[in-house]
Amino acid sequence: MQPIQLLAPDGTLTEDETYSPYVDALDESTLRDLYRSMVVERRVDAEATSLQRQGQLSLWVQALGQEGAQAGTVTALRATDMIFPTYREHVMALHRGITPQQLVAQFRATAHSGWRPQDHRFNTYGVVLASQTLHATGWAMGIQRDAAAGVEAARDELVLACFGDGASSQGDVHESMVFASSYELPVLFFVQNNQWAISVPATTQARGPLADRAVGYGFEGVRVDGNDVLASYAVAARMAEQVRGGGPKLIESVTYRMGAHTTADDPTKYRTADEVEEWGAKDPVARYSTWLRGRGLIDDAFIDAVEAEAQDLASDLRRTIHELTPVTLEENFDTVYAEPHRQIEVEKAWLRDYEAGFAEDSAAGGKGGA
Amino acid sequence: MVDTFNLPDVGEGLTEAEVVSWRVAVGDTVAVNDIVVEIETAKSLVELPVPFAGEVRELVVAEGETIEVGSPLIRIRAEGADDEDDADDAEDAEEAEHDAGSTTSTATAASGDGAGESRRDAAAGSSGTSGSSSGASSDSGALTGSGPKADAPRRRPRTRHADLGLVDDSDLPPMPAPAGGVAGVAADQPRHGRDLAEMVAKASPPVRALAKRLGVAVWELVGSGREGQVTRDDVERRAQQKKAAPGEAPAEPTTPPEPAFNGKLRPDAEREERIAVRGVRKATAANVTDMAQNVPHVSVFKEIDVSRTMEVRAALRQDPSYEGLSVSPMLFAAKAIIWAARRNPQINSSWHESHYVLKNYVNLGIAAATPRGLVVPVIHEAQTFSTRGLAAAITQLTVDAREGRTTPAEMQGGTLSITNIGPLGLDGGTPILPPGQSAIVALGQVRKKPWVVDGHVVPRDVMTIGGSFDHRLIDGEHAGRFITDVGSVLEEPGLLID
Repeated sequence: MQPIQLLAPDGTLTEDETYSPYVDALDESTLRDLYRSMVVERRVDAEATSLQRQGQLSLWVQALGQEGAQAGTVTALRATDMIFPTYREHVMALHRGITPQQLVAQFRATAHSGWRPQDHRFNTYGVVLASQTLHATGWAMGIQRDAAAGVEAARDELVLACFGDGASSQGDVHESMVFASSYELPVLFFVQNNQWAISVPATTQARGPLADRAVGYGFEGVRVDGNDVLASYAVAARMAEQVRGGGPKLIESVTYRMGAHTTADDPTKYRTADEVEEWGAKDPVARYSTWLRGRGLIDDAFIDAVEAEAQDLASDLRRTIHELTPVTLEENFDTVYAEPHRQIEVEKAWLRDYEAGFAEDSAAGGKGGA
Repeated sequence: MVDTFNLPDVGEGLTEAEVVSWRVAVGDTVAVNDIVVEIETAKSLVELPVPFAGEVRELVVAEGETIEVGSPLIRIRAEGADDEDDADDAEDAEEAEHDAGSTTSTATAASGDGAGESRRDAAAGSSGTSGSSSGASSDSGALTGSGPKADAPRRRPRTRHADLGLVDDSDLPPMPAPAGGVAGVAADQPRHGRDLAEMVAKASPPVRALAKRLGVAVWELVGSGREGQVTRDDVERRAQQKKAAPGEAPAEPTTPPEPAFNGKLRPDAEREERIAVRGVRKATAANVTDMAQNVPHVSVFKEIDVSRTMEVRAALRQDPSYEGLSVSPMLFAAKAIIWAARRNPQINSSWHESHYVLKNYVNLGIAAATPRGLVVPVIHEAQTFSTRGLAAAITQLTVDAREGRTTPAEMQGGTLSITNIGPLGLDGGTPILPPGQSAIVALGQVRKKPWVVDGHVVPRDVMTIGGSFDHRLIDGEHAGRFITDVGSVLEEPGLLID
């Protein structure tokens, strides 16, 4: 199954009977926003990577190379559709109004999550692989019941379940798809096949296309070129239409993780430079930029303005990152339950006592460096 | 002013890294995020972007050197800083860094902790005294000093161990009056120390559900069930007591409280301990690895009735000439093995690739657990010993081994060995051969078991014997015959009479 592609790596657009109408319906400002989403996130992503290398983040997970898959898909959703992200959906997060500071808080270990899911209809980042698919399916069950109870807003809502090619091997994904199918739940499963589950190649985990697996569960699966932001949009838009008020669908977005799995990983140990170069030539931003320019939708001034906006966000993140201070011991305990809870109080007292059981900081006098 | 970039933890929990190569030299001008150095961690090669712009003043670490996370890597003189500020800049920078770092860490420590007030004050005071340097680096200081892992590691010593008994719970929600099993605790035990133990009260989900329905806090009960499980009865009794006399503590005998739980398997030990491999452990490891990898082992087992042996043993124990000697099943097994080795020469041998050597003598190795580890002292020329002589030799050897007095010479030259696993409560095992030997016999525990004698099931003393053999020269037939012979002697010790 060849992935659906509208925009070739060289920036030429081909017509597709099914999917081109979705792209044709996009207005110019949305087309420009797709570009902005990708470029801004890429810059923030690079800054966060540097900040990790400088000791300001404990970890960072780069989305480099997957901007097209994410920007196209999130743009095809409604702002009210709930998204269950993994930990790499930075383009989607920024698109939903989460700030770079909120985005990195978890990676600086200053918060369990930098945002309130309900404020952005974007769940907390989940590091547990494939848990997103279960959560999304459960959420969709709730929507279905709301709709049955006459909640109008729930009638054509959908849930996006993000996961990766590695997580596709988890039992959770199987369970989610079985339930989603059996209950005809409005879940759009979105697997970004970025070719590598840390060091395990996607070809080891799936001998055939991941999209084909949907057939076994009784729903449709489509393969799309994830580095083609327009195809990513069109496929997601078409699938979303059918998922609303209908059953689940699966999108396999074929893309590539250009960076490391996380900053704690060294991809040169398991993949070749040739492979990275080959995928680099399929860059989502470059081909889209070429096409937009060719259509006269963007010019140097626009590109410079977006660059400047991205640079501002990145500089702002660097300047303000030290304002992200760790949650206090009190907050950690006080936010577990809504009401006072004896067990939590006891644990808090114990930890407070433990923390108090250390000598005064000998470096507090400022002479520690002497 | 000069900013110092400390080595961050670029992986997850890395503690050090090696500087592989510098990409800049002293005097170069760098911008924020320029790659200045490549380091190698336990996980990967990583290029580090510098968090400051300016002129490189010092490469603190030489290529090839390994430094700890938090140690200074490079110093950058900020753009536009004038030269007068540069006096003693390295020291200033270092001090500033520490001010920034300690301020942050103090605020963190203090935030959840009333006792932190004094530390906060101390830090504030120190920032004041270092004056301009602290102010000068207020911008960069946060970057170098406040990162998750970029602080130079400063471990504050413990002044005391965290102890549940030290938890001041006076401001916690009040506990309901102790009841049921807890009654006695309030009287003779400081109650607050037991909180965690109470929280992990054991109860099955249906019992928890019942407790919830009846309004009973399950962690307040000391369970009467197996291993302290809270039972349905415990919950119902407590519910009735609450109904009968709310708040009143009935006087009932209690089970002793569980020891305080501090989250460790062994409360006094470190979380992980690193034990250097040396001495007996090292030798054992080398030997078993070599033998396990190079010698194809085969094992056989046989269960035998040793009741008659046990009768003889009882008789010998009464014999004054055996006074002070160990008369164990192993003594008879040793005799039986020597006897069986005579009939099965293949067993008592050694393999040398092009040939193998049959030994017409038995140097009997006896595996012994000692404080230093496993040793296998040898009784040389064991075939020459009388039963009493063998008992004396085994007794001596065991004592020596236990006290660590076994000499290296006493561990050399074994031809055939015994491992006595019975005292461990075991029946069988597949031991690894000692170097240079072709057979090791494992002796199981002697147990009373139902046994069929003349068509009737009767209780008999039963033991499993078995062992491992070098399969290159000992076929299953050889091993089987040998073990069967050993078993015959232990079943009928009269066979030993020559």
